[in-house]
Amino acid sequence: MRKLFVSLSLLVISAFSQATTLDWQAVEQKAKGQTVYFYAWGGSPEINNYLRWVDKRLNSEYGVRLTHVKVGDIAEAITRLAAEKTAKKNTNGSVDMVWVNGENFKSMKRYNLITDSFATQLPNWQYVDKTLPVDSDFSEPTLGLEAPWGVGQLVFIYDTETLTAPPTSFNDMLAYAIKHPNKLSYPKPPSFHGTSFLKAALLELTNDNSPLYLPVDNKTFASISAPLWDYLDKFHTVAWRKGKQFPASAAETIQLLDDGELDIAISFNPNEATTSQQSGKLSETATAYAMQAGALSNIHFLSIPWNATAKEGALVAINFLLSPEAQSRKGDLAIWGDPTVLAPQYITGSAKNTKLFKSIPEPHPSWQTALEAEWQKRYGH
Amino acid sequence: MNTLFESVKKQSVASITFNIIVLLTVIICFLPLIPGLSGLGFAAFGYIPAIDKYTFSLDGFTDLLAWPGLQQSILLTLFVGIASTLLSALCCFAILQSCWRSRWWHKIETLLAPIMALPHVAFAIGFAFLFTPSGFIARIFGEQINLQLVHDQYGLGLIAALTLKEIPFLLFMSIPLLKQLNINTTLITAKSLGYNNAQAWQKIILPQWLPKIRFSLFAVMAYSISVVDVALIIGPTRPPTLSVLVWQWLNDADLATLPKASAGALVLLVICLIILLSIRASEWLITIKCRTWQTNGRFSLPIGGKTIISVTYLITLITLPILMLWTFAQRWRFPDIIPSRWSLRFWQQEWTYLLEIIANSIMIAVISATIALFFAIVIHEHSIKATTNKRFLKVPRLLISIPMLAPQLSLLFGIQVATLYIANQYYYLWVIWAHIFFAFPYIFLALDGPWRSYDQRLDKVALSLGMSPFKTWWKVKGPLLLPAIWIAWAVGISVSLAQYLPTLMLGAGRISTLTTEAVALSSGQDRRISAIYALLQSLTPFVFYIIAIVASRRSGSLEQQPSTSTSTSTSKIRVTTRNVSVSQQSKHP
Repeated sequence: MRKLFVSLSLLVISAFSQATTLDWQAVEQKAKGQTVYFYAWGGSPEINNYLRWVDKRLNSEYGVRLTHVKVGDIAEAITRLAAEKTAKKNTNGSVDMVWVNGENFKSMKRYNLITDSFATQLPNWQYVDKTLPVDSDFSEPTLGLEAPWGVGQLVFIYDTETLTAPPTSFNDMLAYAIKHPNKLSYPKPPSFHGTSFLKAALLELTNDNSPLYLPVDNKTFASISAPLWDYLDKFHTVAWRKGKQFPASAAETIQLLDDGELDIAISFNPNEATTSQQSGKLSETATAYAMQAGALSNIHFLSIPWNATAKEGALVAINFLLSPEAQSRKGDLAIWGDPTVLAPQYITGSAKNTKLFKSIPEPHPSWQTALEAEWQKRYGH
Repeated sequence: MNTLFESVKKQSVASITFNIIVLLTVIICFLPLIPGLSGLGFAAFGYIPAIDKYTFSLDGFTDLLAWPGLQQSILLTLFVGIASTLLSALCCFAILQSCWRSRWWHKIETLLAPIMALPHVAFAIGFAFLFTPSGFIARIFGEQINLQLVHDQYGLGLIAALTLKEIPFLLFMSIPLLKQLNINTTLITAKSLGYNNAQAWQKIILPQWLPKIRFSLFAVMAYSISVVDVALIIGPTRPPTLSVLVWQWLNDADLATLPKASAGALVLLVICLIILLSIRASEWLITIKCRTWQTNGRFSLPIGGKTIISVTYLITLITLPILMLWTFAQRWRFPDIIPSRWSLRFWQQEWTYLLEIIANSIMIAVISATIALFFAIVIHEHSIKATTNKRFLKVPRLLISIPMLAPQLSLLFGIQVATLYIANQYYYLWVIWAHIFFAFPYIFLALDGPWRSYDQRLDKVALSLGMSPFKTWWKVKGPLLLPAIWIAWAVGISVSLAQYLPTLMLGAGRISTLTTEAVALSSGQDRRISAIYALLQSLTPFVFYIIAIVASRRSGSLEQQPSTSTSTSTSKIRVTTRNVSVSQQSKHP
């Protein structure tokens, strides 16, 4: 009986992980000549140029074209997929591949907008660093519905010329702001980086952060999140423009740091300070650091919609993006500088030098929505 | 006898053909409203199959009302919309009064093209480069000039930018109107009756100008109420205007916010309609109801039109060299006046991709603007027929202006779903159709003044001399209105070039234009790349405005021959009309 139970549960597990086995040769064969429409944020010239290189390489190697559809926010693609779902358009969809994580992935999963599990069956899956939390996305199990692409860590950037000892905890940050008013801020939630700032602050300010890894309970939300609001009430009075205005995005904090309006900028890429220097956006003296407690860390992923037209092409593209060559180039400080998801021994070039900070895992995704709503209620108007 | 029979037959064939064209126009220009508006209505009341909601509910509205800061957001939206519309109308009239046919007028008119051509997004980027605390003005004058115009609480920066951007548009729209108003005769008559120049303008020309410019004012108002991109770049943030809120909700990863977003979009539409009616009401008050001020000769308002036009042109034009500088800047840090390191890198990186994108943008714009222009002329002609002949149904103006007044995003969600049900892989077809749909009202509006001012008696004369209706149009009316037609075409092209959402949503991202690229890149705040796209985005429509202006000068109707004073020869040929009445003169036999 017990044996039966074990084998049954094994069957269930394998059904999840191996919904379909990919015949890779057939995939490559079918992919030839396909054009993959890849929906991805298009705000960074560095990333766009990297993707142009990927297109060239894919074309010469596999006969696959990769067209980067530049969106201001990937949620636009999700809205589009939802519309296609409404119209029961289950084949010939317009989106072949998306760059997602967190809230967007949760939405795609919830409304069944993703193709069958594929990630663990990619030939290059073998290179992926399994010590990274590649099977969960903001604590949402990925189940192979998306493949990891890079690592994000919430870091802070400052200019060593104007600031010698940056604050390494949120309490220090408040102390610094009291001493130097009008010089610190964070992107306005619900922007991705703004909400991340709130989460990181709460993780540090609360005495016990274990409830943050469980779904939000409306009964205890007020008491658990209270330290954060007390903190922000004090912080806003001495923040940039007295907390009456906030930067719109992380990119804007970098611009404001360079303009001398802010003393500290925020980013999810530990190498952003270096790549921004190379492209002329920051001075040579800018450098990144993480809080003493560690850096809020997450992984960003690639996924394929259920109705993708060039499904095979997308698989080939994702597999190539997980190759040591593509990952090494992505991590190159002169190219993009995005940390790799592969095991370090496969990486070459300047990407090798990327050192990740001590990581703090993302809280349960329900906290994101709850914190955003509460922030809006208190400070959004 | 036979010939008479033949000509009757010809006429009826012609009129049947014309009616078929009218029907086709109505289908193409208004059909998308059905899925657009019904999609919006269904979604606002909770029927959204996309997220498995099949029952009607008011949840969207409850969510919306529960949103903290909604009232402020609505007040702010009203403030921005009304203030920028009023200001731009006042400024435009002041400029006309001070400069019309003056020594500078020629310069002003020539400069209108580049100013008009500058797209809103590009201008907003340039405006921000100027007015942020680390902007160009602060760099020149030092930190004591601390302008908080970008993202300020009351939307003053947004109002300023919109006003500066709309003044040229209204001026542009006023030129053909004033050309048909016999300004010179009016002024001479007024002077002989003892009115000074300002009094004559404000008491005689203003009441005639206002009804003719009405539609343009609607467009300006609707645009400032529902603008998203400019508001994102320089508008207030706590809270943002309602249109920005709706945009953010529609773009929320959590699809459960869709009902709230749709309810918000519906509220936005209602706000637009309310203000539109109030504009109409105030016009009626000024020109019809309370007319004593027009005949009470003593009082007139002094206005400094020259200063206004100088400031408008200066701020608008200075953005271009700043954008240009940014495209070559490798490093340009505050408070440097010029970049410290230069680079051609960005141009080199983008150039190969740019050519393709420019070609694509122009192709879509020319096709859609030309088709929309044809349709707009057809609808105008049909309206004239419908006024004289009660058998025809008139196309209501409100219907025409809906694509201009409804927030695009809400209409597009419904339209997009409709295309999915048909065959959405014809991306270019849907995108061009959408561009026709959104450019049509603007073109219609650009032709509105000229068509209303056209002297119908010219047609009557031609017809009585035995010309066919079509020939009459081709030989008499067409040539007289050609300058206005050229200008409307350029307006249509610039509207099409500026379309972001329709291109993105219906083209599924597979169709890249300068605007889609510019907006996507602007989210990354890299000023160098944004500047390249903003610059090219301005240059493209500029070329078409130049073409239109040159062509309209060439094809100039009788009044447009370059002359310092209206020569007597033209006034002999011109069929003068009494310029006091603006109503149709169909009463006169």
